[in-house]
Amino acid sequence: MLEASGLSAGYLGENVVEGVDVQVAAGQAVAVIGSNGAGKTTLFRALCGMLPVTAGRVRFDGEDITGRPAHRVARAGLAYVPAERHLFPGMSVRENLLLGAYPRRPDPSAFGLVFDLFPRLEERRQQRAGSLSGGEQQMLAVGRALMSRPRLLMLDEPTTGLAPKLARSAYEALGVLKGTGMTLLVAEQQVPLALSVADRGYVLENGRIRLEGASEDLERNPEVRRAYLGVA
Amino acid sequence: MTAVVLDGIVLGLQFGLLGVGMTLVYGLGGVLNLAYGQAAVLAAMVVAVALTAGAPALVAAGAGLLTAAAGGVVLDRTLMLPVYHQRGEHRVLLGLLLTLGVAFVVDGLLLWRYPTGALRLTIGGEAVPILGVRMRAGSLWASGISLAVGAILLLFFRATTLGRAARSVIQDEVGARLVGINPAAVRTFIFALSGALAGLVAVTRSMTSPVGVTAGFDFTILALIVAVVGGLGSVAGAFLAGVLLGIVSTVSAFYIGQYITTIVLLAAAALTIVMRPRGLLGR
Repeated sequence: MLEASGLSAGYLGENVVEGVDVQVAAGQAVAVIGSNGAGKTTLFRALCGMLPVTAGRVRFDGEDITGRPAHRVARAGLAYVPAERHLFPGMSVRENLLLGAYPRRPDPSAFGLVFDLFPRLEERRQQRAGSLSGGEQQMLAVGRALMSRPRLLMLDEPTTGLAPKLARSAYEALGVLKGTGMTLLVAEQQVPLALSVADRGYVLENGRIRLEGASEDLERNPEVRRAYLGVA
Repeated sequence: MTAVVLDGIVLGLQFGLLGVGMTLVYGLGGVLNLAYGQAAVLAAMVVAVALTAGAPALVAAGAGLLTAAAGGVVLDRTLMLPVYHQRGEHRVLLGLLLTLGVAFVVDGLLLWRYPTGALRLTIGGEAVPILGVRMRAGSLWASGISLAVGAILLLFFRATTLGRAARSVIQDEVGARLVGINPAAVRTFIFALSGALAGLVAVTRSMTSPVGVTAGFDFTILALIVAVVGGLGSVAGAFLAGVLLGIVSTVSAFYIGQYITTIVLLAAAALTIVMRPRGLLGR
């Protein structure tokens, strides 16, 4: 469904990620793991058109979307939830969700889907997004992305700023989504959480793919255990 | 006193619309458009010429508003492009300088072409007593139009997809792109709307007093003051500030003198910046 080949991107003429190959098949959940500064966010921004690509190609659903502006990538069905969330703070939860379906009117079942996943959002429907707690804002960011019925949901560090318990429930929600057939691509520092949902994973180090494989294989890999799972 | 306050409300409703056009462009483009008042005068001159040529009033007004809106689009799509490549302070400064340049050019051209140009719409009809004050038909029409357009605008920004999209770009441009909104397209639309609003205010203003060819900078300064007091980027704030400042303006003109009103209004803006930097309803 998503296929990046030889992808390079960065800031001010310097590549942060270089020659990255990533593949996500339909219905799969894939994790990109790596420490702070490994280039996960840069990679994601390049994939969804928020950042110009300096080399390589991105294909989505068989179509070349390299260099397409972010709003057109979003309309094509690739939804991206950045770590900073970028909600509309002065608008209500409901209005944020409505805009998620832009430029269409949301079909009625879309609200039901989001509220089933996050009942909390239904309670806070009329509340301003800026007044929500961190966990609720994360729910709203994911909910807003789901309103357009995307075919691929990309999340950058969905646990940013969340307490451990909330981080776990965020991943439980992702597990539910995966169960409905949603294709997921997640960047995460909290490797055990990410691998608990993902079928496959990539290890990103200094802007390059260091390792890739099935989640179980990565969990057993001594290098991964030492560097990311805190096992000596 | 009632008469003075009522006059202030008539004036203030128009101030409000004027401020909305300025505040929206700032909210979306990060640009304080110093050529804003020239859009109003441009519209006024087009209406005046069309009327002289024998066009019906509504057609003439429509032509004026369309011309001002088109001016906004041209500005957004040409001279403003380098401004959008800048961030923060540079963007504001470059925007100020470029639009100031445009203002002088348009001012000069209009003055050269129509040295004594002025628009004055005479609205027939009897004066109507309101709260014991006889209000002229022109004042009532101007207020009615301003109120209606103001209500439509508020509804548009609250309840339509395009209106919500415009607000979303003001609140978080990255978030807007993520949900599939093209900020550049929304911005062009807002520049057109802003131009049309400036034109509309010139038309309603001319129902009570003539709008001369040199009125551009007066309109701009008023719009700036209203937008700042209301809170830059806030539509409802601009309306509220417009009505309040309209009353302040007529009251001070009546009790102190016409010459002092601009100073009083500027003082109100300065006071707002000191006491409440985000304006009445700013975020």
